[in-house]
Parts: sequence; C-alpha cells; structure tokens
Amino acid sequence: MSSIDWIVLIVTLIGIITYGVYKSRTSRNLDGYFLGDRKMPWWLVLLSIMGTQASAVTFLSAPGQAYTDGMRFVQYYFGLPIAMIIICIAFVPIFHRLKVYTAYEYLEQRFDVKTRTLTSFLFLLSRGLSTGISVFAPSIILSSLFGWNIYWTNIFMGGLLIIYTVTGGAKAVAYTQQLQLIIVFVGMFLAAYMVVNLLPSNVGFVDALKVSGKLGKLNVITTAIKKDGSFNWSDQYNLFSGLIGGLFLSLSYFGTDQSQVGRYLTAKSETQSRLGLLMNGLVKVPMQFAILLIGAMVFTFYQFKSSPLFFNEVQVVKVQASVYADSAKTIQHQYDSLNKLKESYVMEYVNAYQAGLPTDAYEQNWKSAQTQTDTLRTHFKNLVKKKEVGGDANDTNYIFLHFVVDYLPKGLVGLLIAIIFLASWGSIAAALNSLASCTMVDFHRRFSKRELTEETEYRLSKWYTFGWGVFCIIIAMFAYNLGNSLIEAVNVLGSLFYGVILGIFLVAFFLKSIGGKAVFVAAIITELFILFIFYLIKKETISLGFLWLNPIGAGGVVLVGLLVQSILPRKKKAEATVF
Amino acid sequence: MEQQQDKIPLFKTWKAWYIFVLVVLVLLITGFYLFTKQFA
Repeated sequence: MSSIDWIVLIVTLIGIITYGVYKSRTSRNLDGYFLGDRKMPWWLVLLSIMGTQASAVTFLSAPGQAYTDGMRFVQYYFGLPIAMIIICIAFVPIFHRLKVYTAYEYLEQRFDVKTRTLTSFLFLLSRGLSTGISVFAPSIILSSLFGWNIYWTNIFMGGLLIIYTVTGGAKAVAYTQQLQLIIVFVGMFLAAYMVVNLLPSNVGFVDALKVSGKLGKLNVITTAIKKDGSFNWSDQYNLFSGLIGGLFLSLSYFGTDQSQVGRYLTAKSETQSRLGLLMNGLVKVPMQFAILLIGAMVFTFYQFKSSPLFFNEVQVVKVQASVYADSAKTIQHQYDSLNKLKESYVMEYVNAYQAGLPTDAYEQNWKSAQTQTDTLRTHFKNLVKKKEVGGDANDTNYIFLHFVVDYLPKGLVGLLIAIIFLASWGSIAAALNSLASCTMVDFHRRFSKRELTEETEYRLSKWYTFGWGVFCIIIAMFAYNLGNSLIEAVNVLGSLFYGVILGIFLVAFFLKSIGGKAVFVAAIITELFILFIFYLIKKETISLGFLWLNPIGAGGVVLVGLLVQSILPRKKKAEATVF
Repeated sequence: MEQQQDKIPLFKTWKAWYIFVLVVLVLLITGFYLFTKQFA
C-alpha cells in the first residue's frame, strides 16, 4: 500500500473511534447503556440495522459471488421485506409495550425462566462464535493480501472498536454505524464508477451488461426447477429458497437475534422502530443488487484484461512450493495463452455487436475460451485442495479486493481497506453490545441474589462488553488453526439455531395453548434433529440447501410443541401469562 | 402514552405501509425477471 493509502486508512479509523467516544454520553444505567435511552429516530435505527447486518464479508464476498456464480445471490434477500412486515405486526408492539431490554425477557413472561435461559444461551453461543469469525474473516483476507501478521490484524479488527463500544454502549454503536455506512456507500459508489471507467473506451455500461449476461452472470432470477419439472433442493439461491427460506432466516435474525432487536429497541417510539424496519425492507434488496452488479462488472472488466488464475496469492505460493509446482506452471502457461485469445475474441464480439453484424461465430469462440479458462481454474483449485498442499480452494472473498489493489488509484485503495474495517466494526460492535446485554439482563441480573444499583449494573455492563470483545478476539485467533470446514460450519451456525429460536417465538406469539414445558421439550428435540440433518448434509447422505434448515427448525418447534402439549396433562389454564 | 400519539408518516395506516413494501418487492422481482430475460 502507498503512503497516501496508509494516511487515508489511519485517518478514517481514528476519526471513527474519536466520533464514537465523542458520542458516548448516556445515562449511567441499563436504559442508557444498552438502549441509548430509547431516543433514536427511525433513520438512525435504519442505519444501525443495516450497519449491523452488513459485515465486511458482505462487501467483499458479494461482488466475488457475482463474479463466480452470477447475481442470483440477491434472491437470498427476497424474504426480508415480508419478514419486516411480520415483525412490525407481531414482534415490535409486544417488545415496546413490555419495555424489555432483550427479546428473551419476553419468553419468561410468556413461558418460564428455563425457556428464556435456553433461548438466550443459544443466542450467546451462536452469536459469540460467529462474531469471532466476523473478526477473523476480513483479517485473514487483509493478512493474505498485504502480508500483515494475522494476530495483529485480528487485534486491530476486533480490538479498536472495543474502545467506543465499551465507553458509549448502544448510542456510540448507532452513531458510528451511521458514519461508517456513509463512508462505505461513498467508497462502493466510487469503486463502481471506477470499474466501468476502466473498461475499454468503446465499451459502455450497456455493452458491459451484455458481455456479463452472455456468460450467465446476470442470472438475477432463477427457479431451481429442473428440466424434468422437479425442484433442486440442494440449490442454495433461487426464487423459492429466497422467498421461503429467506423469510424464515430474516424473521429469526431481525425478530429474535438480540444484535438486531437491540437496534430497533433504541427507537424513541414504536412508530420509529416500525419505520426503521420497513425502510430496511425497502432498501436492502436494491442495495444488494447494486453490490452484486459491481461484481458482475468486475467480471466483465477481466474479460478485457487478463485475470489471475487464482485470486488468493498465499494459496498460489503454497502450490508453487509443493510437489505440484510443475503442474501449476503448466496450467498457468495455458491459462495465460487462453486469456490473450479470450481478450481478442470478446473485443471482436463487441465490435461485431456494435456494428450490427452477426455475432454467433465470435460469441462461440469467446465462450469456448471462457469455458477452457474456467476448466483450468478448476484444475488449479484441485491442486490447492490436494492433501500435500492443504489449501483453501475458495477465492471468492479475494476477487474484489484483488481488483481494488491492482487497478484502483492511490487513496481509493486505502479508503476501500478502511471500508472493510468499518463494515466489520459496525456489525461486531452491535454484536458485543447485544452479547453484553443478554449476559447482564438474562443471566447476571436475573440470577443475582443481591439487589444491584443502577451504577453497579452500568459498570458491570461495560465489563461484560469488554469481556465479550476479548472472547471474540480469542476465537478469531483460534479460527486460524480451525481449518476451513469448521469455519464454514460456524458460518452456517445461524441457520442451525435460528429456526429453533424463531419457532419458540412463533409459539409464544401465535399458539397460546402451548405452555413452557411443551415448548422447552420441543425446542430441545428439534435442535437435536437439526444438528442431525446438518450431520447428514456434511456426510453428503442428503443434499439440502442450508437456508431450508430455518423453516424446518421453526416448523419443528411448532409441530412438536403441539404434540407434546397434547400429551401433557392439562392444566386449568395455560401455564404462564399470555400477552 | 407518547408511543400511541406518534403520527404515521406518508400513509394514513400501517396497513397501507405494509402493502406499499409488498408492492415494491413485487415490482423489484418483476424488474429483476425482465433484467434477467434481457441480458442473461
């Protein structure tokens, strides 16, 4: 990185920390620390919700996803707007009326203490581990790209934000997320402008779309319906999994995950909470579409300019140092020759298309060259996966950053690296705040035999925030040694628990005949069943997209809950107070 | 209570807001479908 890039990066990061500390003044009690005194307007709630959901990987992985698999990933978000509406109708009024600090407090009022504790524990387990991975994921990318020490990168990625998250709580988190998102959007807009600007002078935006589309990267809507009419259940991203699986995932994430519930509970009224959520439902899908389109444009750019055989340089070096060095050299040589041919073919295609001439022959040559380069990339990935190399064959997260570092001007590279830090900080800070609030409210305060003063609770909450921050950095340090399969497992961790947690809340809201004992047993049975399905998926005994685990988990708790309730001896009334 | 007095902006009822969000989603999916048909 150039010195200008370093200056931009350091100034941006120090600016955010200073702003966070400056906005830290809150009342010295739980309301002030965890909910910003419940005074936030809807637009701050919106930015906070978006900043919490969008991690660094969102801005790195999504363009890479479009590059490798096309834009169909956007369908993953189709269920989100519907989920926002359901949460506004069913969840928000109850949370506001009861003035809860955590979503799980409601479960004790509706069911019993063990259901509340179980759900809060599942949240702490999944969110604690996934936040550690949220620290590690962008750190390993930056560390590989710039040769930075992974341990120090982890400490900067997960440690600096602790300063303002501990001092200012939810208020500092919300205000910094606002500034972070503005910088992120400006940076992404500049990157989008630059990628189109870097295309050959006779290739316009529509031509670029045409090129990208011809190679299947603009597949925004897919149905996963096979030629024989059957549905492909293992297909991850399609219209149906997006609408149904995405709906359940979003309902769980926004309705029952404290890192999100804690954001809209900071609103000054129920109306402001609802507006923040509904606005999120309006802007999220177009925003993801725009980020994926950048990836599709990067793909087009690399049609006219030789692309790297593999985007993660560290893995390339590993292969070159292994017994497969000669094979890698041969593949690289063939790839470079084909890339040159591909560049001339695509230019011939564009010239013919612009002149209104027949394009079939040019298109065939170009597509054939692309297929061959794809095959060589697969061969190289197979080398990376070989036992003797033991590398990570997935370079999706490196594609966009590789483009940024190689082709964007000085200063903008620093800004894009700063964006990775800021996007990470936004989601990690909210996660730490929510982890601390659950630990304090659902465990410490709930089970403490001593009466705690407001000042003591405030002080303890700060310590819990700090403790969770340290915990997440430790997880990030260990993640380096965990290996890819475990990290992948942690990444789908949300889907392993979210469905069951959502099921508990759905029973709480809509099935008033089911009591605490039945829902508790149902949650345990269903969670074990979900873990069993996950085991079968990993063993490749069954083939199922992980998004489907969310509706299965939620539906499982409802059905088993009804069954268990019908077996249990009837009481005069439902076991607990019904809201 | 302050919360109940908060006026709903833009539309008269929340129901209208929910329909608006759904209509935008349907329009987006339709737009994406046409985009896919045009380019993919």
